[in-house]
Amino acid sequence: MDLEDDTTVLTTLKSFNSFISRSDQPQRPSDQSTGTGHLQSQYKRSMELLEAADRVKSKNRYLQLDQEKKQMELSHKRARFELEKAASESARGLAHEVDRNQELLQRIKKLEERETEAAKNLAEQVEANRTLRKNMGGLNKKLEERDSALNTANQNISSLKDEIRELKQKIQSKDSAISAQTLENQELQEQLDLQRRKYQEVSQLCQSLQSMQSSCSEHVIKIKELETRLALQEQDIAIVKTVKSEVAKVPDLEKELKRLRDDNAFLRENRENCSLLKEEVEGLRKKLERMEKTKEELVNMELEKERLAEKLQGWENLGQYTGLNIRKPEDLSREVIQIQQREIALKEQNYTLNSRVRSVERSQSELRTEVSQQRSKTLEEQKKREAQDALVRRLQKRVLLLTKERDGMRAILESYDSELAPTEYSPQLSKRLREAEDILQKTQNHNAEMEAQLTKAQEETGSLKLQLQKVELEIEALKKQQASAADSSSLATKEEVSLLRQKIEDLEAERQRLEEQNNVLEMRLERHNLQGDFDPLKTRVLHLKMNPTSVAKQERQQEVDALREEVTNLRELMRSLQDGGGLVSSQDDSSLHRSSLGLSLPPSKEVLDLRKQMESSELRNQRLKEVFQKKIQEFRTVCYVLTGYQMDITTENQYRLTSVYAEHMDDSLLFKKGSNGSMQLMETEFSKTLGEMVALHLHHQKSIPAFLSAVTLDLFSRQTTI
Amino acid sequence: MSSTLKGITLKGSAELVAEFFSFGINSILYQRGIYPPETFTRVTHYDMSLQLTTDPKLKNYLTNVVSQLKEWLFECTVQKLVLVITCLETNEVLERWQFDIECDKSAKESSAPREKSIKTIQDEIRSVIRQITATVTFLPLLEVPCAFDLLVYTDKDLVVPEKWEESGPQIINQSEEVRLRSFTTSIHKVNSMVAYKRTDSV
Repeated sequence: MDLEDDTTVLTTLKSFNSFISRSDQPQRPSDQSTGTGHLQSQYKRSMELLEAADRVKSKNRYLQLDQEKKQMELSHKRARFELEKAASESARGLAHEVDRNQELLQRIKKLEERETEAAKNLAEQVEANRTLRKNMGGLNKKLEERDSALNTANQNISSLKDEIRELKQKIQSKDSAISAQTLENQELQEQLDLQRRKYQEVSQLCQSLQSMQSSCSEHVIKIKELETRLALQEQDIAIVKTVKSEVAKVPDLEKELKRLRDDNAFLRENRENCSLLKEEVEGLRKKLERMEKTKEELVNMELEKERLAEKLQGWENLGQYTGLNIRKPEDLSREVIQIQQREIALKEQNYTLNSRVRSVERSQSELRTEVSQQRSKTLEEQKKREAQDALVRRLQKRVLLLTKERDGMRAILESYDSELAPTEYSPQLSKRLREAEDILQKTQNHNAEMEAQLTKAQEETGSLKLQLQKVELEIEALKKQQASAADSSSLATKEEVSLLRQKIEDLEAERQRLEEQNNVLEMRLERHNLQGDFDPLKTRVLHLKMNPTSVAKQERQQEVDALREEVTNLRELMRSLQDGGGLVSSQDDSSLHRSSLGLSLPPSKEVLDLRKQMESSELRNQRLKEVFQKKIQEFRTVCYVLTGYQMDITTENQYRLTSVYAEHMDDSLLFKKGSNGSMQLMETEFSKTLGEMVALHLHHQKSIPAFLSAVTLDLFSRQTTI
Repeated sequence: MSSTLKGITLKGSAELVAEFFSFGINSILYQRGIYPPETFTRVTHYDMSLQLTTDPKLKNYLTNVVSQLKEWLFECTVQKLVLVITCLETNEVLERWQFDIECDKSAKESSAPREKSIKTIQDEIRSVIRQITATVTFLPLLEVPCAFDLLVYTDKDLVVPEKWEESGPQIINQSEEVRLRSFTTSIHKVNSMVAYKRTDSV
C-alpha cells in the first residue's frame, strides 16, 4: 500500500513536471513570434524568473509535501508498528485505519487535483499575461494580480497545510482512539474470558445442580423408604415394648415361683399336719363309731322300750281285762332288770367269747411257733432219715461187695480145696476159713445191726411224720378257728380302712382346692397390692398436709370462687346497666345507679368519663334540636309570608300547600314527589276547580312555580274583588 | 454417703434411697409434664443428665418429704412411696407411681456394713430412672391439668409427725399396671411400678 501511495505521489509529480515542461514548449514559439526586444527579453527573463521562482516554490512545496508525506509515512510506519504489535487482535481496526488512510490519500489526491487546477489557473494566467503582454499597459497590473493570485494560492496551500496538520492530529487522535479501543478490546476479551469462565462455572454448577436434583430425588426415594422402615421400626418398637412389659413381668413371675415354692414347702408341712389330723380323725371316727354303736343300742333300747310300752299296754290291757298284777312299773323294772341281767350275761358271754378268742389266738400263735419248731424238727428228722437212707444204701452196697468178696473167696477156697490136697495146708486154710467165716459172721451181724437200726430210724421217721400230720391238722383246725374268729373283725377293719381312705382322698381334694383358692387369693392380693391397696391393720398411709395436689385444688377452688363472685357481680352490674339504660333520661337513674353501685364493684373511671361525655352530647343534641325547631319554624313562616303558601307534610313524599288567600280552609293543593324527584299534582277538591291553569301551566308550560303563582294571583284577585 | 466404697451402712442406704426418690420424683414430674419444662434445670447425676425443678415451692415440698422419708428409711418403717397424679378437673386419679420398699430390719440391730458397692447400686438406680423415662412411650397423654401428691405407706405403730396426716390410698379405678425394674442396696429393696387409668380406646 505504501508503494501505491508512493506511485501516486510519483505520478502526480511526473504529471506536474510534464505539465510544466508542456507550458514551456508553447511559450517558446510565442516568444519567437513576438520577436526580440528588451521588454520582451526582460519579460522573458522575468517570466523565466517567475517560472523558476514558481518552480522553486512548487519544488519547495513539493519538498515540503514530500517531507510531509515522509513524515506521514513515518507516522504511518509508527502506526503500522503499533498496529503490527496488536495486529493479530486488531486486524479489523487496522483495516479501518487503512480505509481511513485511503480516505486521507484520496483527500491528498483531491488536494493535488486542486493543485493541478491551480496550475491550470496559473497557465490561464500565463495566457492572460500573454494577452497582457499584448496589452502592454495592464501587464504589470495583471502581474500583480497574478502575484496576488499566487499569494492566495499560497494561502490556500498554507490553509491546506493546516488542514493536513489537522488531519494528522486527527490521525493521532484516531491512533490513540485505536489504542484505547484495543485496550478496550483487550478488556472486553478479558471480560469475555471471565464471562466464559463464569459460564463454564455456571454450566458446571448447572450440571452439579442436575446431579444434585437427581440425587435429591434419590434421596427423596430413600427418605420414603426410610419412612416406611421407620414405620416398621415403630411397629417393632411397639412389639418390643409389649415384650419388654412381658419381660418386666418375668421377675414377678420368678418371685411368684419362689413364693409358690415356699408355699409348697409350707403345704408339705401342712400335709404332715394333715396326716396327724387324719390320725386324729381316725381316733375321732372310732369314737364316733362307738357313739354310733351306743346310738344304735339306744335305738334298740328305744325300740325295746316301745315294745315294752306295747307290752305294757298289752299288760295294761291284760290288766284291764284281767285286773292282774302286771300293771305296775315295778314289774316292768323287774323285767327290765331281768333283761339287763340277761344282757349282762350276754355281755359276759361275749367277753368270755372274746377272751376265748384271744386265748385261742394266743394258743394259735403258740401253736404256730410249735408248728415251726415241729417243722424244723421234721426237717431235721428228714435230714437224719436221708442220712440214714444214704448210710443204709452204702451199707447195702458194702454188703453186696462183701458177699461178692465172700463168694470170690469161697470160690478160691473151693478151687484150692479141689486142687490141693486137703491135708497139705488144711490147718492153715481151715484157720483162714474160720477167720473169714468169723469176719463174715461179724459183717452179717453188723449188717443185721444196721438193718435193725434202719428199721428203727424208719419207724422213727414214720412216727415223726404222723406227729407232723397231726400237728398240721391241729394247725389247720386252729387256723380255721382263727379265721372264723377273725372274719368278723377283719371285715369291719376293711370297711373302716376303705372309709378312711376315701376320707383321705376327700381331704386331699379339698386341700388341692384350697391351695388353688389360696393361689388365686394371693394373686388377687398381689394385684391389689399393685393397685395400691394395703392392710389397714399393719399399714398407715401418710402424706404432707400441704401437698401440691391439695394446694392446687385449693387454688383452683379459690379461683373458681373468685370467678364466680366476679360473674355474679358482673351479672348484677349488667342488669343494673340494662335497667339504667331504659331510664337514662329519668332523674332517678342516678339513685338506681347508686343502689347498683352499692351491690357491684365501683364503676371504673372510664365509665364515668363516658357517662359524662354522653350527658354532654345529649345536652348538645337537645340544644341543637331546639335550635333546629326554632329555625324551621322561622323558615316556615318566612316561606308562608314570602310565597303565600303554607307547606305541610301530610304523609311521606306528599306535600300539602295551602294558599294564604284561600277561600276555604280546606282549599289546598297536594303534591307528590315521584321516584325520580319530579313533583306531581294530586287531585283535590280545590285542584278540580283549576282545570284551566293546570292545563296551561302544568301540561303546557310544565312549571309548578308558574302554576302556583297563577293560583295565588287568581285567588288574590278574587279576594280583592270581593 | 458416709460409708466407704467397700460396703454400705443403714444410714448410707437410707440416704441413697432418699436421693433416688428425689431424682425419680423430679424426673417423673418432668416427663409427665406436671410442671412446665422451663421450670426444670439439667444436672448430671448417676452419670446421666437429669432434670431438677427450680420451682421454689416444689423444691421446698420435696425437701420436706425426702428428709422425712430418709428418717423413716433409717428406722425401716416405710413400706411404700406412692406418687399420685390427679386430674384437677374431676379429682380422678390418673396415675400411680408406686415404689415398694422392702427393708431389711436386721440391719437396724447389726451395724456391720453390707458388701455392695455404691457404684453397682447407682448403676441399678440409673437403669430404674431410665425405665421411668422410657415409660412415657406407653403411658397415655395427660391432656388435662394435673397435680401430684406423695403418699407414704408406713408401719401402723408410727407416730404421725406434725404437718403430716393420714390419707386414702388413692386407688385408680380400672387400672393397668406395669412393673418396672427394682434395685437394692442390700438393706432397702425398692420395687418400682406404675399403674395408670385404662383408657376406653384400648
